[in-house]
Amino acid sequence: MTNHWNDLQHTDCALIMGANPAENHPISFRWLTKAKENGGKIISVDPRYTRTSAVSDIYAPLRSGTDIAFLGGMIKYALENNLIHKEYVVNYTNAPFIVADGYDFKDGLFSGYDQAKRTYDKTKWALAAGPDGKPVTDPTLENPRTVFQLLKKHYSRYDLDTVSSVTGTPKEDLLKVYKTFCETSKVGKAGTILYAMGTTQHTVGSQNVRAYAIIQMLLGNIGLPGGGINAMRGESNVQGSTDFGLLWDNLTGYLAIPKASVPEHATLDGYLKKETPPSGYWSNRPKFVVSLLKSWYAQNATAENEFGYQYLPKPGSKNYSHIFLFKAMYNKELDGAFLWGTNPVVGGPNAGKEKEALGNLKWLVAVDLWETETAAFWKKEAGSDPSKINTEVFLLPASASFEKEGSISNSSRWMQYRWKAIDSKGEARPDLDIIHELALKLKKLYAGDTSAQASPFLALDWNFGNGPECDIDLVAKEINGYDLTTGKLLPGFGALKADGTTTSGNWIYSGFYPEEGKNKSKNRDNKDTGGHHYLYWSFAWPMNRRVLYNRAAADLNGNPWSKEKAIIWWDAIQNKWVGNDVPDFNATLAPTAPGGTGAIMMNKDGVGLLYAPTMNEGPFPEHYEPFESPVPNAFSSVELNPAVVIHEGDFNKKGSKGTYPIIATTYRVSEHWQSGSMTRNQEWLSEIAGYMFVEISEELAKEKGIKNKDKIIVSSARGEITAYAMVTKRYKPFKVRGKVVHQVGMPWHFGYKGYVTGDTANRLTPHIGDANTQIPEYKAFLCDVRRAD
Amino acid sequence: MAKEYVKFVDVTKCDGCKACMVACKNWNDLPVEETAFQGSAQSHPKTTADTWNVLQYIEHENAGGGLDYLFRHSSCFHCTDAACEKVCPENAISYTDFGSVVIDQDKCVGCGYCVQNCPFEVISLKEYKDKNGKEYRKAHKCTMCTDRLEEGLQPACVTTCHTGAMEFGDKEAMIRKAEKRVQEIKGRYPNAQVYNPQGVGGTHTVYVLAEKPSVYGLPENPKVPTSAVAWKDYAQPIGKMMLGATTMALVGAFVTNKLFNKEGKEQDGGGSNE
Repeated sequence: MTNHWNDLQHTDCALIMGANPAENHPISFRWLTKAKENGGKIISVDPRYTRTSAVSDIYAPLRSGTDIAFLGGMIKYALENNLIHKEYVVNYTNAPFIVADGYDFKDGLFSGYDQAKRTYDKTKWALAAGPDGKPVTDPTLENPRTVFQLLKKHYSRYDLDTVSSVTGTPKEDLLKVYKTFCETSKVGKAGTILYAMGTTQHTVGSQNVRAYAIIQMLLGNIGLPGGGINAMRGESNVQGSTDFGLLWDNLTGYLAIPKASVPEHATLDGYLKKETPPSGYWSNRPKFVVSLLKSWYAQNATAENEFGYQYLPKPGSKNYSHIFLFKAMYNKELDGAFLWGTNPVVGGPNAGKEKEALGNLKWLVAVDLWETETAAFWKKEAGSDPSKINTEVFLLPASASFEKEGSISNSSRWMQYRWKAIDSKGEARPDLDIIHELALKLKKLYAGDTSAQASPFLALDWNFGNGPECDIDLVAKEINGYDLTTGKLLPGFGALKADGTTTSGNWIYSGFYPEEGKNKSKNRDNKDTGGHHYLYWSFAWPMNRRVLYNRAAADLNGNPWSKEKAIIWWDAIQNKWVGNDVPDFNATLAPTAPGGTGAIMMNKDGVGLLYAPTMNEGPFPEHYEPFESPVPNAFSSVELNPAVVIHEGDFNKKGSKGTYPIIATTYRVSEHWQSGSMTRNQEWLSEIAGYMFVEISEELAKEKGIKNKDKIIVSSARGEITAYAMVTKRYKPFKVRGKVVHQVGMPWHFGYKGYVTGDTANRLTPHIGDANTQIPEYKAFLCDVRRAD
Repeated sequence: MAKEYVKFVDVTKCDGCKACMVACKNWNDLPVEETAFQGSAQSHPKTTADTWNVLQYIEHENAGGGLDYLFRHSSCFHCTDAACEKVCPENAISYTDFGSVVIDQDKCVGCGYCVQNCPFEVISLKEYKDKNGKEYRKAHKCTMCTDRLEEGLQPACVTTCHTGAMEFGDKEAMIRKAEKRVQEIKGRYPNAQVYNPQGVGGTHTVYVLAEKPSVYGLPENPKVPTSAVAWKDYAQPIGKMMLGATTMALVGAFVTNKLFNKEGKEQDGGGSNE
């Protein structure tokens, strides 16, 4: 989230797309209900009329996978009706930047496309630069090669008729949403966009979010209380896991992993030169990277050995995200796997194939609270023949959150410390202790080994105690970082250096533990420090800032755009930024000083990117149909996102619209958590959501002779499942490109273990991911339904 | 004397999360029960002896032709004139000073008159076996967490409600709040109303409903049957003077079944054949 949960109460309009927070992020409605009481409006855009729609002011149906069409129409509407915050757009975005001649867009393809490789040459999309290397701009926005004019041109194709026929949203509903949300372009108003996996789990997931960014920048909603783009994370600590480098291509703090496929990455110097922009806050990257290396390799990291840079794994052109790992497993390229709190036999895409793939491993370590469907994949109850599976499976029982100490980081970026409430049962242990002992044992096993493979283990500085329990306070301090010269904890990432005299395990969290005894994630002062930002409750990265980009809530002179949405402002007497939040800006940089208006300080030019030449499929979001779609693309002759990787063959069978004419999507319910391994093992939750069901419209039910509560079979090119039919008025058929298209939806929580069991929805989903993140397309695929008897 | 309280349920703020159901089971240590698939997000058809509140989910086409997806936390109303209290032959049901209506499990003989006579159908019998294998029954329902109220805590369901759809407080203040809320939401829900039926003397669970009571399966004008009043206030005291308490229960069974059975209900005896 750019903002935070409590801040939702300040919104004048919340656009909720690709999310059903009333059901899946209920706490949001504590604050959205307050916003409503203050006159705020809630808009719910969803294929299905959800519990969120029920408590919203406006509902608009949308066919799964057509968000960009819907949002492209809004961009056009805002531009044509001049419902933008012009001064904000001119100064805080790259709208006035001139795009160099290489950029072009024709029939669904941007310039620089390589059909054979399914990739783009992004240099074709470069912005024009002057002799000084600075961007060329036209603040009048009139030059046809300005980002602004190209944006206008790109979305001029997203007219109401086309958008409505693609999305299936009635025109009057489109207009109602556009009008209501674009009213937040007025100074004094702020609109927020809330999203979750309904936005991201598409082949165009990243570009869906980009479309939000464009809209929020045009309306001047970034940085404002009650504004921003707010990702509601799928689990309480998903934020923490990505912050801490759980993604395969990140170190920690969103530092990109060095790659063998990038020649410059061969040396630390080359990597830093390649990845560090000349201006913007990321120009400090070398300080973050070197401090991280010092944190990991301590005395074994010296200027002479590139601070241990060569100990880091450097993947080549291979991708190591979920689908690719399981494909490698399926193709017998992997010997073993640790599956830590993950249950792909229920939660993975095309889960039947993922289960099959597990049987190709020599060994599997499953670390979880219960024996999950994945840990038991080889058993008879899983439908497997144990005599034919040679995988050796180790199950390590893990402690639940209440049985251990540590922190979680929520969607608001708040790192909140938790204390242990009860002892673990049986042999269960906290996963930190499990990994701690694993590290100690590996170091012991590699001792004396002089091979290249052993050196990273031997060089690793693992000083969290030698017993079986990890000293978590030492880990916390390691994350914050030390000044190696004084031995003291660092006050924040501003103190990091690139010369090897500082450490920090994760630069974005540096400052949460600035002094002995002052772990700020333990802060629990619930007094409102102003503007409902509660600065002394927990710690929000970076540097306890609660609303990111809050400099943008003030005008060029540092005065709030409005009294209603003031958050920080320039105090000329004190010569600093003051207000209700920690400035997300250099606190003493005057608006009149060079860079003093660069509100989006992380970016090279201090502005937000309406035009983002870094994305894999183009600088502007463009509508493409999902991997499986019932209709051809109305916007171009390119059907599928041209930059996605297509997995072919048995691993990912594709269904045709002839055999599978119905759109399907998956989602979650309040009562269950992810693959259900925690909640389906909890009696009271099992009781109130005990059955696998598929929601279908009354119209489709009639067509198929299905009655409510009937058992039905849902089939896709990947498999079929049986479930109860939930016939509902909340699904309506879509009218798409002149024909009636049905959509069904189902929860993905069920499997064969636990108090309540049911067929696994992911038996149906495809193995295809987004072009930037590879997140699987769980939210739009094709199926058919029929009665089970 | 303790203060009279009201649990105010504003269904238009409810988002249907069912946390109130879990909180209730948790505090009252109620066991799970097996239920069939209901064809909707609803888990149980209605409250039971082991499930004292149930979240209702209703898909309602409103007068404007639009769809409303309505939720309601359903549990005991804690009537001011409670039919259950009136018909209980054993005086097992009583009013507390807080305004809640509670069943004394030691006194309850499981006759089921309360089940039969509750206008809201929130009371249920549960079967038990004693150590000799003899079956017996007890009536159960929401207690408004009277045990928590005695300790200065609010009901578990109210404490857990994250949207503030449930509030607990001074009776008059809650009713004023409900009335004000109805005015605020009339635009969105023209049929919105306070549900605090006077036919039962008003209730201690007061609702703001988005629609007419019948949409939620609630009686529009619930009343304590005059026969129940006659039974409690006249027949029972006289009878008790004349006969022993157990005999009176049998007579009561006869009277109840003859007089108080609600329309269209099977006369299953309500436990009188024991």
